[in-house]
Amino acid sequence: MNLTRRSLMTSALTLGAMQLFPGMSEAQAKRIVFATFTGSWEEAHRDVLVPAYRKATNGAEIVLDPMLSVDQIAKVTAARSNPPIDVMLHDPGPALVAIANDLTEPYPVDKSAYYKDLIAEAQEPNGPAGFFQVVGLTYNPDKIKTPPSSWQDLWKPEYKGKVGITNLNSTLGTGFLVEIARMNGGSEANIEPGFKALESLKPSLSAVAANPGQLATLFQQGQIDISPGNFNAIQIMKARGVAVEFVAPKEKAIAFKTTFHIVKNTQAKDLAFALIEAAISPEVQGKLMEAPYLVVPTNTKVKISGEVAKTLAKDHADMKNKFVFQDWKKINEQRSAWIERFNREIKV
Amino acid sequence: MAATPTTQNLPTVTAYELKLAWPLGAFFIVFFLAPLVLLFIVSLYTDTTMTHFGLTQYAKFLLDPFSLKVLGATLWLGVEVTALCLLLGFPLAYVYLRVPGWAQSVLILIVLLPLLTSVVVRTFAWIVILGRQGIINTALLELGLIDSPLRLLYTEGGVIVALAQVQMPLMVLPLITALTRIDPNLADASAALGAGAWRTFWKVTLPLTLPGVIAGCLLTYAAALSAFITQTLVGGGQMLFMPMYLYQQASTLNNWPFAAAISFIFLVAVFAVITVFNMLGKISQGYANA
Repeated sequence: MNLTRRSLMTSALTLGAMQLFPGMSEAQAKRIVFATFTGSWEEAHRDVLVPAYRKATNGAEIVLDPMLSVDQIAKVTAARSNPPIDVMLHDPGPALVAIANDLTEPYPVDKSAYYKDLIAEAQEPNGPAGFFQVVGLTYNPDKIKTPPSSWQDLWKPEYKGKVGITNLNSTLGTGFLVEIARMNGGSEANIEPGFKALESLKPSLSAVAANPGQLATLFQQGQIDISPGNFNAIQIMKARGVAVEFVAPKEKAIAFKTTFHIVKNTQAKDLAFALIEAAISPEVQGKLMEAPYLVVPTNTKVKISGEVAKTLAKDHADMKNKFVFQDWKKINEQRSAWIERFNREIKV
Repeated sequence: MAATPTTQNLPTVTAYELKLAWPLGAFFIVFFLAPLVLLFIVSLYTDTTMTHFGLTQYAKFLLDPFSLKVLGATLWLGVEVTALCLLLGFPLAYVYLRVPGWAQSVLILIVLLPLLTSVVVRTFAWIVILGRQGIINTALLELGLIDSPLRLLYTEGGVIVALAQVQMPLMVLPLITALTRIDPNLADASAALGAGAWRTFWKVTLPLTLPGVIAGCLLTYAAALSAFITQTLVGGGQMLFMPMYLYQQASTLNNWPFAAAISFIFLVAVFAVITVFNMLGKISQGYANA
């Protein structure tokens, strides 16, 4: 019994030590962990970004660990002094939380070769935007013959019982609420018209999805025929044969900056910097813009072409006319109150 | 542990049992009790940056009618699912005992089959069944019983039915075990004494299966309450139950103290319901034995 207990303690201590001093096992190979997003983002980054990074660093090791923004924040917060992630990827809302909680390192702008070429909206000193996610209207072209052109079309009587939205847990749902508020005279600071508009949309709603991913299923099942949706998510569905199309509304499509951040206290700051440099370089962004990835580039040296040019914006100057960038600082301040209100009021 | 057997006393059987429970006990302490204590400590912070202690999170929940409504709705959802499982599961278990051996194997396979697939897959099947172009709506439309598709997905009814199917094995298996243990002669005796089939069922079979009923109900109830995936996928984003409420606070809003307080209140509430249920079970068992 004593012997068992002793050997148990020994192995427990060893395991604990490995947790406390991961350097013991990892010192030999310096590598970085990049927390990308799940699904198609991981695929795009593995296929294009990682090879470019390897080339730039003479084959340095990198691990892709796809997870949601909130999980990245949770993991880094839990181990601030020795973070398990070296580069974070964030939507605008979580990015501000990460910066406010002092989890990020400022980007060494002076050392960067590409930072100055980024479109002004992507130049974030706490972590530059590597791409934009664009939200517009998605619809089923088999059921809706005339493509919608405005957010206002969601309220059309012929779509009654066929409209889908998501709740405010997602960046998409929150961004959509702000835009319909703006359409009705409100703004990030005045959300009231947005909630009023949602209230009047209720009879049309067929579904309030718990997350944007669920919208795909709903289109596939014919449960909804029209909804706000993410440009890149739609491309994946289209590629899988689901009858769905994306259109940018005339009020401007919503563009979310997706930013890359060097994590504070990372053991490999240089490598983290190298990865982000690769991510904002015109070579990587140009390749990511092509099919099947269709990622919207932020570097103005990339000549916009293909599906992105056709559906979204023909060049970076055009982006300023076609995209609206929301004030997520204002949004974050009130988001918890909005979610609470949505919980209470939006019952279908 | 200290009470090791001396030379005079022969080791008792129970001493061995306690020792054998140690590995599992230690496992529970490290991986269940310790995190639970941590969770409780987190719930005692008053702010999201976790610097001040206080009971504000609990006050915020318990004084807010909306939060209490969510708690009530979740507990009630569990009751509805459990009732439906019992209603559908009991006859199934009853039939199981009265069919030939080969049919029993088939039945048990059908009962167990859902356990062999992931909850996500089972839940997606329900989306296909309940959707606007799902099996039910298509069938009703083709039969001419309805003019336009019914709204089945994203309704509370949909959630209850889907949960009942997903959790059904948890109800049926204890019921089958309980029913198998009843001596078939008892029913014969009851019939010989002049009781009809219903009277035999109410007075003999049902009371004797009560332990199985209670076990099945507890398992189903606990599983239905915490079934985040099924609740979310079939219920959608506007139907708020405790697991989703918790997720929202923890993940979207990074409000860990409030999320921790919600978990604790939920835990205590479920414990209370289960205790009441257990007491009811004991009382009725006493009645059955009397």
